[in-house]
Amino acid sequence: MDKKYRLATGLLLIPLWIFSTAGFAAAKVYIDIDAPGFQQFPIAICDFQSPKAGAGALPEDPAESVRRYLDLTGIFRILDKKSFLEGVEPGSPEVIRFSDWSVIGADFLLRGHLKPAGAGWSAESRLYDVTRGEVIFEKKYPLTAGSAQAPGLSIASDILLALTGDEGDFRTQIAFVIKKKSGSDIFTMNYDASDLKNMTNDHSIVAAPRWSPDSRYFAFTSYKNGRPMVFLRHLKTGKEKVIASFPGLNLCGSFSPDGKKILLTLSKDGNEEIYALEIETMHLKRLTNSYSIDVSPAWSPDGRKIAFVSNRSGSPQIFVMDADGENVKRITFEGSYNTSPSWSPRGGRIAYEGLINRKYQIFSVDEEGNNLIQLTFDDADNEYPSWSPSGRQIVFHSRQSGKSRLCIMNANGMNLRVLKESRDFLVMPSWSPRSGER
Amino acid sequence: MKKHFTAIGLLLILVFSLTIFSGCAEKKAVVKDETAIQEQKVAAAQQGAPAAVTTDDEAAQKAKEAADREAALKEQAAKEEAAKKAAAARAAWAKKNAEALLDLNLQNVYFDYDKSSIRPDAREILKANAEIFTKNSSAKIVVEGHCDERGTAEYNMALGERRAQEVKQYLVNLGIDASRIETISYGKERPLDNRSIEEAWALNRRAQFLLK
Repeated sequence: MDKKYRLATGLLLIPLWIFSTAGFAAAKVYIDIDAPGFQQFPIAICDFQSPKAGAGALPEDPAESVRRYLDLTGIFRILDKKSFLEGVEPGSPEVIRFSDWSVIGADFLLRGHLKPAGAGWSAESRLYDVTRGEVIFEKKYPLTAGSAQAPGLSIASDILLALTGDEGDFRTQIAFVIKKKSGSDIFTMNYDASDLKNMTNDHSIVAAPRWSPDSRYFAFTSYKNGRPMVFLRHLKTGKEKVIASFPGLNLCGSFSPDGKKILLTLSKDGNEEIYALEIETMHLKRLTNSYSIDVSPAWSPDGRKIAFVSNRSGSPQIFVMDADGENVKRITFEGSYNTSPSWSPRGGRIAYEGLINRKYQIFSVDEEGNNLIQLTFDDADNEYPSWSPSGRQIVFHSRQSGKSRLCIMNANGMNLRVLKESRDFLVMPSWSPRSGER
Repeated sequence: MKKHFTAIGLLLILVFSLTIFSGCAEKKAVVKDETAIQEQKVAAAQQGAPAAVTTDDEAAQKAKEAADREAALKEQAAKEEAAKKAAAARAAWAKKNAEALLDLNLQNVYFDYDKSSIRPDAREILKANAEIFTKNSSAKIVVEGHCDERGTAEYNMALGERRAQEVKQYLVNLGIDASRIETISYGKERPLDNRSIEEAWALNRRAQFLLK
């Protein structure tokens, strides 16, 4: 009896042991946010200290902006300023009592000063590891007289880079379709839901907005000429051309990782097949060959494979094939309606929507069809997943009782937040590459 | 010279007034009088208007208004006449067109959920439609494929196209020239019934026909 008990305890401890070893293995990167047991990281962000009065007009404190941006990532828990024990006295010596911060639950601490620098100002920032009592980084950020949004973004980016090894998704946009009774159009907005802009203004039917990986091009399907055609727009010049207007269906798919090709769904040869179009030469190559629907192709980030939807086995399911169309393999087996595959930029996993208990929910599965995880569970219909460039977040459409929302969640389904809400449909979100990659 | 003009004007007004009172105002006379009034007005303005002239001016004004009313009435009558004719023509055209459309009697065919195969009940409808297409042999045929609101927009666009293609193939097998038939999928974007119930979904999973 006693022996059995001891064995059971031992078995329970094994996963704990695995986690702790994994933690040690990732020595440089502080946060292993992809671990299954990942918890949000508690961070205290102090208001920046500024010099005493008489120094002229002060620039805006970037602290609030840093808090807002870090909150958007979904991996930080921003501690309430009211819980801070340490009073922030202007000009107090640079001594930090780490115990004052660990006792309120902060693992990380950001402190900074606003100092005159040349003609302008500078935000001197320090990020501390509270548990180790060490400085993680120290950096000066130039401040302009206006908004502190830009320096706030830079500081937040650097914190994320230092703690996760990745700059995150701050400098990204999301394209999506607003569908009204009068017709639908493509819009774009920043990752923080600011700066909403019309990409099209035709009040037609639009579908499948897609960014090229270098953000030079934007492709989509529109019925503005009376029937579905695929359009390619050069984002800088705004020049647009029709790249597919064959008889029947012309649907836009995803770009190849090198941006040279684009996948299309065309019905010109009798039924819906997937084709790769070389943008420079307009050379078209057919990839699928089955008397069934093949649609919604998504290129893997390494360019080797393509995920797509096919009903060749009776109901819509996700399949993976080589980039030349060979070695077709079904990867979803649960449920009778699995569509909208989106490949994680970090490779490995494919997010999609599946019908379960009469609701559409977001799932992710690896490219071999193993390790299936359900990511959304609420009472809404959750559709059209699209990964962020960091591969750490997923944007999707959520619809419940007449309300349509664009939501973001962490790649593990945690920390869901609503980006935009409307009575109109907000569908088919597509996450842009990082602006640095443009 | 000026005095001379005024005298002529006054004389003409007098004549005109008499004509009005005698009750036989002819258009020609009115026009002539208007010229006189103009002249008289100019004269009055240059000399400072005497009271007597003002009285006569009012009478002339009334006459002018009467004439204007008459002209306006005539114009309106003409307009109404034209509108009536146009409306009648439109009604006749609409009636003829409606009869023609009614004669065509093209019916939709419906599909099962997530299916594009032609249902048994659709076969008779397609045969009837094929006869109509044969009778109207010069017209091009558009087959629209539609889906219900459930599922992904993209997959439904493919499914709608599949439905339209299946219908096209069926019509070709019934002897309709394939080159006459065009297919277009509207996916789930153009429902007939916006409700989220099975009854509406069944109505929305359809192929619709157009002749052009």
